[in-house]
Amino acid sequence: MATAETDEQLVRKSQQGDERAFGELVNRYESKVYSLALKMLRNADDAEDVLQDTFLRAYRGIKAFQGNSTFSTWIYRITANSALMRLRKKQLPTVSIDDADEREAPINIADWAPSPVEQLLTKETQQAMNEAIEALPPEFRQVFVLRDVEELSNSEVADILDLSVAAVKSRLHRARLKVRNRLATYFSEPNSRSAMGAKS
Amino acid sequence: MMTCKEVLDSLSAFLEEDLKQEVAVEMHKHIGMCSDCRAEFDTLTMTIKLYRHWEEPQMPPSCHDRLVKVLEIEKIRLKRGPSTSGSGA
Repeated sequence: MATAETDEQLVRKSQQGDERAFGELVNRYESKVYSLALKMLRNADDAEDVLQDTFLRAYRGIKAFQGNSTFSTWIYRITANSALMRLRKKQLPTVSIDDADEREAPINIADWAPSPVEQLLTKETQQAMNEAIEALPPEFRQVFVLRDVEELSNSEVADILDLSVAAVKSRLHRARLKVRNRLATYFSEPNSRSAMGAKS
Repeated sequence: MMTCKEVLDSLSAFLEEDLKQEVAVEMHKHIGMCSDCRAEFDTLTMTIKLYRHWEEPQMPPSCHDRLVKVLEIEKIRLKRGPSTSGSGA
C-alpha cells in the first residue's frame, strides 16, 4: 500500500489545484483547528465559525503559502488570528494587556495543590477553569491556550503568533498567574472544598 | 538571597527549567524555606496540571459536513470569478 502523503506534498498538490489534496489537509487538521478554537472561545458555535473561516482563508491563500513555516504552524496561525478577531469583537470593555494587573496577588492561597488532579477536576472546577480563561485579555488567552492547554513549545507558539520567544514567556507567566489567582479564589470558597478532600 | 518578588517573577521559568543553574539553586532554597513562595509554586504547578488534564469535547461530525459544504460553495464562487463581493473576511 502507498504510504501517506506528507503535508508538504499535499500543499504542493493543492497549490496546483488538486482539490482532493486540499480535502486531505482538511481531514487531517479540522479537529485540531476546532479544538484550538473551542479552547480559545469557550463556545461551540463560535468554534465552528472559526473552523469554517480558517479553512476558507486557507483555501483562498494556499497558492500564496510559501512554506516558510510548516502547514500546521500556518493553519494554527490563521485559527489563532481568526479567534482573536472574534474575541475582540465580542469582548466587553477589555483590560489591555499593558494594564492587566497580574499583581492582584492572591490573598490567602489555599494550599489546594496537594490534592490529586483527578480529584480536583470536578464539573464545578472545570467551570471555574472556563471562567478563568474567559477572564484573560485575548492576547494572554492565545498564549495560555496554545502553551498550557495545547501543550505547544514556546518557540512553536512564537512562530504561530509572530512574537519573540521572550514575549511568549512573559505573556505566559502573567497569564498563568492570573488564571491561578482565579482558581485560588474558587478553591478558597467553602463549597469547592469537597474536591480537596478532608482539608478544613 | 532572592526576594519573594524575584521568586514570583521567575516561577514559570523555574517550572520550565529555563533558569541559570545558580538562580535555580537559589529558587530551590528559597521555596524550601518560605511557605508563601512554596504555596505559590505548588498552586502554579497544579494550575498547569489541571489544564493539561482537561478533556474538551470532540468536534461533532456534523461540523465536518457543514465545513465541506462551505468549501464547495467557495469553490463554485471562485470559479465564477473574483468580481462577486462579500468575501466575508
